[in-house]
Amino acid sequence: MSVPRSAVLPNVITDRATGRRISLLDWQASNRRLSWMLGLVMAALLGAIGYLLAQLTNPASAGFFVAVAGLIGGGQTVAAYWFSDQLALGASGARPATKDEHRYLVNVTEAVAIGAGVPTPRIYVIDSPAPNAFATGRDPEHASIAVTRGLVDMLDRQELEGVIAHEMSHIKNYDIRFMSMLAATVGVIVILRDLVLRWFQFGAFGGSRRSRGSRGNNRGQGIMVVLLVVLLVLGPILATILRLAVSRRREFLADATGAYITRNPEGLASALEKLASYKGEGLEVSEGVRHLFIVNPLARHNAVDIFATHPPIQERIDRLRHV
Amino acid sequence: MGTIIVLVILVILAIAAMGVYNRIIGLENRYQNAWSQIDVQLKRRVDLIPNLVETVKGYAAHEKAVFEEVAHSRQAMMNAKGVNEAAAAANQMTAALGRLFAVVENYPDLKANENFKMLQEELSSVENKIAYARQFYNDAVLQYNNAIEQMPGMLFAGPMNKKAAVFLEIPEAEREAPKVSFAS
Repeated sequence: MSVPRSAVLPNVITDRATGRRISLLDWQASNRRLSWMLGLVMAALLGAIGYLLAQLTNPASAGFFVAVAGLIGGGQTVAAYWFSDQLALGASGARPATKDEHRYLVNVTEAVAIGAGVPTPRIYVIDSPAPNAFATGRDPEHASIAVTRGLVDMLDRQELEGVIAHEMSHIKNYDIRFMSMLAATVGVIVILRDLVLRWFQFGAFGGSRRSRGSRGNNRGQGIMVVLLVVLLVLGPILATILRLAVSRRREFLADATGAYITRNPEGLASALEKLASYKGEGLEVSEGVRHLFIVNPLARHNAVDIFATHPPIQERIDRLRHV
Repeated sequence: MGTIIVLVILVILAIAAMGVYNRIIGLENRYQNAWSQIDVQLKRRVDLIPNLVETVKGYAAHEKAVFEEVAHSRQAMMNAKGVNEAAAAANQMTAALGRLFAVVENYPDLKANENFKMLQEELSSVENKIAYARQFYNDAVLQYNNAIEQMPGMLFAGPMNKKAAVFLEIPEAEREAPKVSFAS
């Protein structure tokens, strides 16, 4: 008995950057682990910041400060878990697609979802001529895919399937939850940094220093101030570097998973080619959701982008054609 | 001491056996559920056909041979029992619909009809969903078969009365469903 061709395609992908073979199941597990670790690291970080703040102002209220920092962090994480998809969709001006109006898009998404073995995600349309798409949510049962009107108009069926399969891979691989958590972490640290900086400006710490007066204590406090500033300033930078490091690899893996779902690497490759050669009106979205999209919405404006969240499109196309 | 070691080994073996058992049952449920996904789409296609035939008849009433073929395949589909018969009937229906759409190429007015365009999009997307569902089914079957034919599942397959499931053949050129023309 001959095994159908589709069934023997590998569920394992070679990561060209490291030469390692990655099982897609392992990748999902590692993404879930990373989400948890991120939560723990953030809790520790916030605890440390709260503790330092307390030591600098009033050691007696240390518990209060740690609790406040914990509450802010916990609240933000819970909010990210539940509402980040609504935020991302709102920030990009997406509205739900209906079967009557977007029959073609809805049918393609339902088909790809069957192939990927996940529930059909909610589908949104962004009213922009620039071709682009992103996925968001917390798990495959609570996921959304948003595409622009330009994408649906520009691509043929196989190409649209390729793009939808790429987004479906982000959902299936739990990339969406990881990115939501990461964005929340950066958000909390940035809020705290701004709060503390304002505090410094109003001289809140100077007051408490004078009232105690001893010199040794001053030096101890100086060290703590430096530590606090380092934590608050380095936190967002570290998180951003982490995001960039995993983001590029995630895109390659989503391309490969997408090609596996459709069994048709050429569809996505040709779609990426069309997206890369688009020269029309840009897509206006806030910086916070930029990394979510399949191609960088601002790619045309800065040719050399060190902080690129996406690998060069040509490299992605080349890899797809050699799957 | 010796009895404790034996007991510990027995407990570990029992837990491992439970794991293998659960994995086989889980994979079996998965491929059977994957079949129901295909079935849903096959039924949907059967439901779309009367409407399609009515619309086409309005423009091309004399193309009797092709209508008969479609009606015949629809009957076979509705009478099909079990996975293998349903799969064969489904392939027959795909071929019949392919010929119907090839005939439609000769009727520009029909091709421009809004209702026809909508039905054509629905049918080609159902074909597409069938192809994806079949692909997912074959993936699930492959995993299930591997689980019961390789160690350690092989030891369990006999007592559990599990046999390898059959792959669905994917006809060549099917993935380009709406564009296919049959020069026969």
